[in-house]
Amino acid sequence: MNEVYAIEMLGITKKFGNILANDKIDIRLQKGHILALCGENGAGKSTIMSILFGLYEPDEGIIKKDGKEVRITDPNEATKLNIGMVHQHFKLIDTFTVLENIILGDESLIEYKDNLNLFKKAFNYLNKHVFKLIDYKKAREEINKIIDQYDLRVDLDKKIKDISVDMQQKVEIIKMLYRQNDILIFDEPTAVLTEQEIEEFLNILRNLKNEGKSIIFISHKLNEVFEVSDEITVIRKGKFIKSLVTKDTTKEEVSSLMVGRKINGFNEKTPKEPHEEVLRVEHLTMLDPFSKKRVVNDVSFNVRKGEIVTLAGIDGNGQQEVIYGITGIKKIHDGKIFLSKKDISTYSIREKIKAGISHIPEDRHKHGLILDFSIYENTVLDRYYEKEFSHCFIINEKNIKKYADELIEKYDIRSSGDGNTNVRSMSGGNQQKIIVGREIERNQDLLIAVQPTRGLDIGAIEGIHELILKQRENDKAILLVSSELDQVFSLSDRILIMYEGEIVGEFLPKEITKNKLGLYMSGAKKDEVNAIKENENE
Amino acid sequence: MNKVKSFFNKLIKKDGTKTALTSLWCALLGLILGFFILLMINPSEATYGMSSVLGNYLVFTDPADKLNYFGQTLAKTAPLIAMSLSILVSYKAGLFNLGASGQYSVAVLVISFLGVGLNLPWWLVIILAMVAGALYSMISGALKAFFNVNEVISGIMLNWIALYLVNGILSGNPLVWDNAHSEAFVIESGNNAYIPQIGFDKLFAGNDIVGLGMILILVIAIIIFFLFKKTTIGYELKATGLNKDAADYAGMNKVKNILIATAISGALAGLAASLNMQNGFTSWKLSSVPPDIGFLGISSAFLGGLHPLGVIFSSYFIVHITEGGSMITDLGFSPEVASIMTSVIIYLSGFVFFVKEILRRYDLKDELTRLSRDKEETA
Repeated sequence: MNEVYAIEMLGITKKFGNILANDKIDIRLQKGHILALCGENGAGKSTIMSILFGLYEPDEGIIKKDGKEVRITDPNEATKLNIGMVHQHFKLIDTFTVLENIILGDESLIEYKDNLNLFKKAFNYLNKHVFKLIDYKKAREEINKIIDQYDLRVDLDKKIKDISVDMQQKVEIIKMLYRQNDILIFDEPTAVLTEQEIEEFLNILRNLKNEGKSIIFISHKLNEVFEVSDEITVIRKGKFIKSLVTKDTTKEEVSSLMVGRKINGFNEKTPKEPHEEVLRVEHLTMLDPFSKKRVVNDVSFNVRKGEIVTLAGIDGNGQQEVIYGITGIKKIHDGKIFLSKKDISTYSIREKIKAGISHIPEDRHKHGLILDFSIYENTVLDRYYEKEFSHCFIINEKNIKKYADELIEKYDIRSSGDGNTNVRSMSGGNQQKIIVGREIERNQDLLIAVQPTRGLDIGAIEGIHELILKQRENDKAILLVSSELDQVFSLSDRILIMYEGEIVGEFLPKEITKNKLGLYMSGAKKDEVNAIKENENE
Repeated sequence: MNKVKSFFNKLIKKDGTKTALTSLWCALLGLILGFFILLMINPSEATYGMSSVLGNYLVFTDPADKLNYFGQTLAKTAPLIAMSLSILVSYKAGLFNLGASGQYSVAVLVISFLGVGLNLPWWLVIILAMVAGALYSMISGALKAFFNVNEVISGIMLNWIALYLVNGILSGNPLVWDNAHSEAFVIESGNNAYIPQIGFDKLFAGNDIVGLGMILILVIAIIIFFLFKKTTIGYELKATGLNKDAADYAGMNKVKNILIATAISGALAGLAASLNMQNGFTSWKLSSVPPDIGFLGISSAFLGGLHPLGVIFSSYFIVHITEGGSMITDLGFSPEVASIMTSVIIYLSGFVFFVKEILRRYDLKDELTRLSRDKEETA
């Protein structure tokens, strides 16, 4: 028998400029099943789902629903085909109530049904075309029915801004059900939830499945994937890797498929004995300014001269906040930071820079550069006040140019013109070289590098790796934040794995395999770690 | 020939040239639209009306009259330059000083009491007026820096507070209020607070309001130019204005920079009041709307391409057509027509950045095709 799939996406290819976001990806979703779509960041998961939801049109490939080929050109089209999607960032209107948000775009109007006399007919006509009064009563009844059926408790009259994130997610789910969607797409639904909320969410997924809905669920957290999914499709770097039946596979297999087996440039490093401690972080705790959730929870570690310590983890597990805390960009809630034995916890950003921190920030456009400044101006962004570059508030242009030209030469920064070129017009790799050059040249004791090669091509990546390794040779202490396993393995002397704001493991690179690291990063091993911790406490 | 061509090409590619060109385009567009308005209202006099708007003092036949009114136009340009610089400084630092009118009003209060009432020397009155403007502006600045209150909102509120404060304090106060004309006393020549004319009156056929103020504002414009070009303060302000996260990352002090920017901006608004009032030209009149120079400064700053030296020309242009416009009432156009016409021109001047953006996109396309061609060639 030919199996009829709820959704089939065959040979989907999507290019953005020269970047191949999706390369001949096949996805098959069986009716009434939960399909997990797994892959690393930037693997193309969100892109393929956006194609299914009509946000992008594929360059190649076909989409079939219930065996029939369809073309989905925009989200309205998708809704008509009963395809619904919950985006990673909810699409709700903060100041509207839950009820208003659910019916938004699909409002049923007040309409007299029986005993139609002239007045009622006239009203119906006018309301349909002029007044458009909404039948809240009917909508409320329908929604309450859905709430009962799927056990999704929410207060319909509260405003979105007054309810918690997991409630908002329920609103998004009800929204889909209200539109009678039977194919539900969830983009990283658990990224914003706490442990208990995830448990509840997974139950909701099971309920939906039991009611006959077909679900695609994007995640890189393998625990939950294995808990609820029937099938798993793995994609990596835009390519389709494999489809697996969940009960016939293991977490190890999936995680190795996700990250790929190839390990390159592993032990080119010369062995080096780290000494003298430079950075010491003690019990660092940081809160999300809005939800007051602990995004960094009691994190302690140190970095010594001549070693590269890596905070490894999937984006959004608190690594960024740890760096913000150390560099002073965000306030720390609790804990202490020492630099060369000096307590710098309460220093301002400027004072920390002066105390000896160099920082290659994650987001080069947001923090690292001023795009409308020239190369000259950007090379002194955090040291223009130094004696060499200015005196009594007057900028020494000659020295800045001389210094910047050296940097351009040494770090091979290329642009269409000279140092007066606007940084905005340059390629990402060359922009990054300005930052890397600037921060390394400051010759500070501690170099913090956050995702230093993100978005760069292979040549640029290698160049930056070399520069970082050279700093290690020069006996600097280096703190690296990375979510790319290749990078973690080729650079680190020690690996600290972060998951949900905590350090869940510390390893030397030779003690751990990529697959195991991947498991730790996706939280699969957390229970194990907790168990060990508890044992130790006892 | 080729050399000339390449020089011209280079000149065109320069950002400054582009801004200047767009400003000219916008001004021209405004003039054309203004002409249409005149045509609609009174076709027979439209051409003549337009020529007097454009000609301003040139329509006089007597050379002495020409000179005199030229001097008047220059004297009225000075305060607008100060106001444009005020807007410009705050804008460069990422703030929008909509409270300039309020700062101007508060400075007027100081000028009236210290200049007319106490008869202090002119330079001291100027300095104190600037201080008053700066302090008043720093109220918005402090609200922004410490409580993240939007400076546009607080600026507008402070405009009204200043307006009624100044109305209330000045009117009827025997020390400063001229009951006969129901306005504050004008600072006449001979008064200590009167800005010296240093011979300009003779140069401009006896015009009695043109004077040192003109030179002063040119010097200030050059100082502001150097502030942004050559000093660390200017560097920080620009960095904060362009990307406040990066400024943060680099350890720049946000609070300090906001306060500095608002203080300079307010001081310049105060200076505008001095240049307008301390030359015997005008004084405070009871009003129910904030002085419009604060808003005119915005147009002028944008028309000047947000360049400290560019605003000298844009301010002159605006005053020139406003003065010229005030003459067409004699041609049977109602005074409102003159205002509408000049407003349209000024309004379109505000399109500078819109036009520039379009040009930029056009340029980008050009660039992209060039790049792809280069790639093919190398491959």
